[in-house]
Amino acid sequence: MSTLVIAFLVLALLTCGSALSMLWTRNLLHAALAMFLTMLGLAGLYVLAYADVLAVAHLLVYVGGVLILILFGIMLTNQTDPATGKNHLMTRESSRLLPISIGLSFFLGLFWLFTKGPWINNLPVTGESKLREVGLGLLTEYAFPFELAGVFLLIALIGATFVAKSHD
Amino acid sequence: MTDIPVIYFLWVSAFLFATGLAILLLKKNTIFVLMGIELILNAANLNLVAFSKNDPSLQGLYLSIFVLVVGVCEMAIALAIVLQVYRNYRAIEVDQFKSEY
Repeated sequence: MSTLVIAFLVLALLTCGSALSMLWTRNLLHAALAMFLTMLGLAGLYVLAYADVLAVAHLLVYVGGVLILILFGIMLTNQTDPATGKNHLMTRESSRLLPISIGLSFFLGLFWLFTKGPWINNLPVTGESKLREVGLGLLTEYAFPFELAGVFLLIALIGATFVAKSHD
Repeated sequence: MTDIPVIYFLWVSAFLFATGLAILLLKKNTIFVLMGIELILNAANLNLVAFSKNDPSLQGLYLSIFVLVVGVCEMAIALAIVLQVYRNYRAIEVDQFKSEY
């Protein structure tokens, strides 16, 4: 077993384990922490798939942006427990049997489907950064979608601030 | 030294997708449901990246960058909506949103 596969297994274990703990826990803040670990593991997996640009962007966006947004959402929608006066972070959930069995059957079905396909294995490691190619591609071939994504982001952020302000 | 097989990435992404789906169905808190949606988006992203791993034209990588942007926009808007819903109903659990009319 090569070093690459061992690194992959460690990162996959981190990702899948923290995703499972996100499913298992009922505490909202613990779930946010588990999501942080999931995103960290996913960034590592992106690096192992030679997508280093995406890994850095993913870390910046998810750990720096989305997680902070989620924490602000948890803080702004807190519900104090009338008995103790403390914040109530435990969430309610429906019965566990049906959703977990649906998820498990989806996983097993996809697993079976992926195992059937003929995949090309044993390719040599290329291992070079794609930063230059991606930068060039985003400004030449994919310039229009790139600009569209920028305008979309602007619209979404303005819309979010408009929706979030109090309309009294 | 040989590369990591594509199918390992696909298995991990299938697992993430199934977990996200289970979170989506199981949890009643809206923020929890949004986290499940993020997991599903990232599973799709991992699939795209894994398929463009040995593709010299890198199309999957470009698509996954745009998926990232759309995911962030969705999260910002959705949390703003959750905030506004919380102001109106004083609750963020999905089965507590009932019309008063």
